[in-house]
Amino acid sequence: MFKSVIYKEWIKTRWFIILLTLIAILAVGNIFLTVQHNMSFKEASNYWYQILFQNSHYFSYLKFVPLIIALALASSQYIPEITDKRIKLTFHLPLRENRILIMMLAYGTASLLISYSLVFLIFLGLSNQFFAAEIVKLAIISVIPWFLAGFAAYFMAGLIILEAIWKYRIAYFIIAAAFLLLFFETGLAGSYEPINLKLTLITLLSSISLLFSAYRFRKGEM
Amino acid sequence: MNTVIECNNLTHYYGKKMVYEDLNFSVGEGRILGLLGKNGAGKTTTINILHGFLQPRSGEALIFGENSQRLSPHTKSRIGFLLEGHIQYAFMDIHQIEKFYSGFYPDWDSKPYWELMSKLKVTARQKISSMSCGQRSQVALGLILAQNPDLLILDDFSMGLDPGYRRLFIDYLRNYSKAGNKTIFATSHIIQDMERLIDDVLIMDYNRVLTQTPVDEFMRTFKQFNFETERSGIDLSKEEFVVNVDTIENNIELYSYDTEDNIRKFLDKKGIAFKNFREVKMGLEDAFIGLTGKY
Amino acid sequence: MIKISRYILVAIAILVSAVAIPKLYWLSFDKPIRSPFIMYSSIDHDFMIQRTGEKTIRMDNTGREYTRDEFEQKLPLFYSRQLLISGTMPDTIDGVYMDIHELNKARSFFRLRPAMIYAPDPGLYPMFESESGRANLEMPKDYFRISWRMEFIDAADNRINEKKSRMFTSVLQKRGFVFPAKKIAGIPTTRKSCDEGYFVTDSKDQLFHIKMIEARPFVKKVELPGGLKFKHIACVDFSDKKFYNYLVSEDNDIYVLSQDVYELTKLAIENYNADTEELRIYGNLFYYNVVIRGDNYVNVTILDSDYNKVDEYHESWTGRTDSKQGKIFSYIFPAQLKMYDSNISFTDFYPDITKGFNWLILNLLLILVHFYIIRKKGFSLKNNIFDLIIVALTGLFGFIAVNVFPNKSFA
Repeated sequence: MFKSVIYKEWIKTRWFIILLTLIAILAVGNIFLTVQHNMSFKEASNYWYQILFQNSHYFSYLKFVPLIIALALASSQYIPEITDKRIKLTFHLPLRENRILIMMLAYGTASLLISYSLVFLIFLGLSNQFFAAEIVKLAIISVIPWFLAGFAAYFMAGLIILEAIWKYRIAYFIIAAAFLLLFFETGLAGSYEPINLKLTLITLLSSISLLFSAYRFRKGEM
Repeated sequence: MNTVIECNNLTHYYGKKMVYEDLNFSVGEGRILGLLGKNGAGKTTTINILHGFLQPRSGEALIFGENSQRLSPHTKSRIGFLLEGHIQYAFMDIHQIEKFYSGFYPDWDSKPYWELMSKLKVTARQKISSMSCGQRSQVALGLILAQNPDLLILDDFSMGLDPGYRRLFIDYLRNYSKAGNKTIFATSHIIQDMERLIDDVLIMDYNRVLTQTPVDEFMRTFKQFNFETERSGIDLSKEEFVVNVDTIENNIELYSYDTEDNIRKFLDKKGIAFKNFREVKMGLEDAFIGLTGKY
Repeated sequence: MIKISRYILVAIAILVSAVAIPKLYWLSFDKPIRSPFIMYSSIDHDFMIQRTGEKTIRMDNTGREYTRDEFEQKLPLFYSRQLLISGTMPDTIDGVYMDIHELNKARSFFRLRPAMIYAPDPGLYPMFESESGRANLEMPKDYFRISWRMEFIDAADNRINEKKSRMFTSVLQKRGFVFPAKKIAGIPTTRKSCDEGYFVTDSKDQLFHIKMIEARPFVKKVELPGGLKFKHIACVDFSDKKFYNYLVSEDNDIYVLSQDVYELTKLAIENYNADTEELRIYGNLFYYNVVIRGDNYVNVTILDSDYNKVDEYHESWTGRTDSKQGKIFSYIFPAQLKMYDSNISFTDFYPDITKGFNWLILNLLLILVHFYIIRKKGFSLKNNIFDLIIVALTGLFGFIAVNVFPNKSFA
């Protein structure tokens, strides 16, 4: 049954996740083309200087990439479920409702994890090519919240899309937007160091959010 | 005979507005029951409660002895649900959707599904979303037949279908039920269709159940009598044996469970002169209107 | 599971509203509080105060107001350029001839905010050639780190320059440096008058001066009194070349380290807290004007050029919490959750619990409103008691949270 659930999620989302991951990889490629360009045109040591002491973020291009992937995935996965209230079919499958939802969630989370890992590892590998460990470390600390924001956005989008009443959808959206802002505070490279673990924890907790709106749907709030 | 669906004292309100209070009915194994009612009489509410998508204010709906709010996976596998409008995962093609569903049901039998699919003029990679309403209904039906459930809950199965497809659908369902002693609970807008399909009829009006009987018994006992009175303005609607009456000047259409003899006697006794007294043959739709009124 | 998911959502809603709503409040209603600018008159030997607001007021310590010209004439060492232009610069002050070159050379400004101490560490620094014989400093091609040894990394190919790294490491070892470094302080820019390399504390809190002279390492250990540890070292590039840097010890004492002879002198400054207060030091020919600013007060100490205390001044004013907006705030919000602390350059959750209990009134009111909502919806009190507790504890934030993510349980 797990295989069947995954099969359906895959049919819904495959093109979105593959295409956006490819675009994200291109974005990373673009970042390092720019880096390479700057290294040769500005002189490498001056470029490093800007990064180390003038708060120039070579990776800032990556900022909303995980978020966009997550929103596309969530939309492609959940909007077909609420179209014509097809989620009813899903709840009629011979499985516990929460189990199906968690399987769907697990599929989405795993897809994001794979997609993000690819993007992140390429980013990390190329960063290590061009920069010393200190610069890479600050970059990682800075991009981690953006990837976390992607997961959080995916979880929140599930909650919002599966909610059937518009009034609540809007309220959730406001809360979710304020929540996501926590991940995008601007600051020095590496300034998120003390909060990253806390944000990871909150993001993990938020993962089961959609159970709430799905439950409301099942109990007749539509 | 085992009871498959049992509703006990079902009560529901939307906010302050009552849908019904203390609704009771049951459906026995192997029976095909049609739920009839006007719009707003609580058909959808009942279907939603049976589907588990609505928690009644009080009372319970039991399916195979389990509360419909908390059906076990095993029980769910014994129920085939057909959603209003033959909703399916329209982003799949017919191969994908068969592959998808087959993973959930151990007794999956794809033969009837492919039999139905072979009659459809669709391509193998055609998404269900691009099919016609009739074709989609055949996909939904094929999936249910392949699932081979013991109980079918069908919400307005005739919606959007051509007469031909409707007939096809009904014939398949009736055949399926009678061959395997399967229970069917169905609603439909088009009552004529029901007549061909159902064994029992459950007619709801606002807030209450008007009747639940086998269709043939209902058709045998519920009658329409037309006659003309000499005087106009005779009001029979308060009489006990009268279920419904339509009076247009001297012409009276009277619906009753009583016999022709008794009614004639009553009219004589009351000194109401009448002529052209005759029983009118009704179809299920006429009987439904007779029972629930035109308004 | 569904209950848990609801409480998680409620918690997230409380968290984000505690961040966002007070922030919006202050964004809408905050008014700037201008602190006075305190200077020391070398004419009167007393403090002069400039207050900016709708109108700028200039006065002395007794409250007497001055015109702008009068005021500036009292402060010739601050406004020497202006006085020279208007021809009102005195020839001598306290018997000292006012030489424009000497005046400019002695003038210095230094600023240290807590957020500069608590900030992400780049970890890599450029080692300049201190005696290149060129007029201008040049940016080196490599950067150094001091971990288990001192390493130079070439920026162009991201590779370690082994030869240079070994050379510096071995000299550091010979001078008794214990790897790794704790703090590296310098002025990593070519825009300075000359290069004095870096001041580095090692893992045993010993202080070293490291620079590069004609491509060779120069390492000098600075003798420190026993037990002295530095919280922050800020190198300066002042024209008078009196000292290399201001140093702040763990005990919040301020030191200067004299140039060439490496003599450590403690400034006569008391009650400074580098974690919460901003430090500004204005130097001139006669005095060091040491200004320490907290949220709603300023302490000024005047030191002579030998760092002895001459005079001091204290003033405090109504802070934001005591302002009208702050009072209203205290009636609405039980707390504010900040993502930034003005004293720390790291993003984190910085809870700021509202002082006093004014917000309890609103909390009580919201409990009543929520109680009414529960009743109106016909929910059982038993199932909602926890929601009421949440509202009681978190006030407005909890009230929003439990209503955006409503409990659904019938009687």
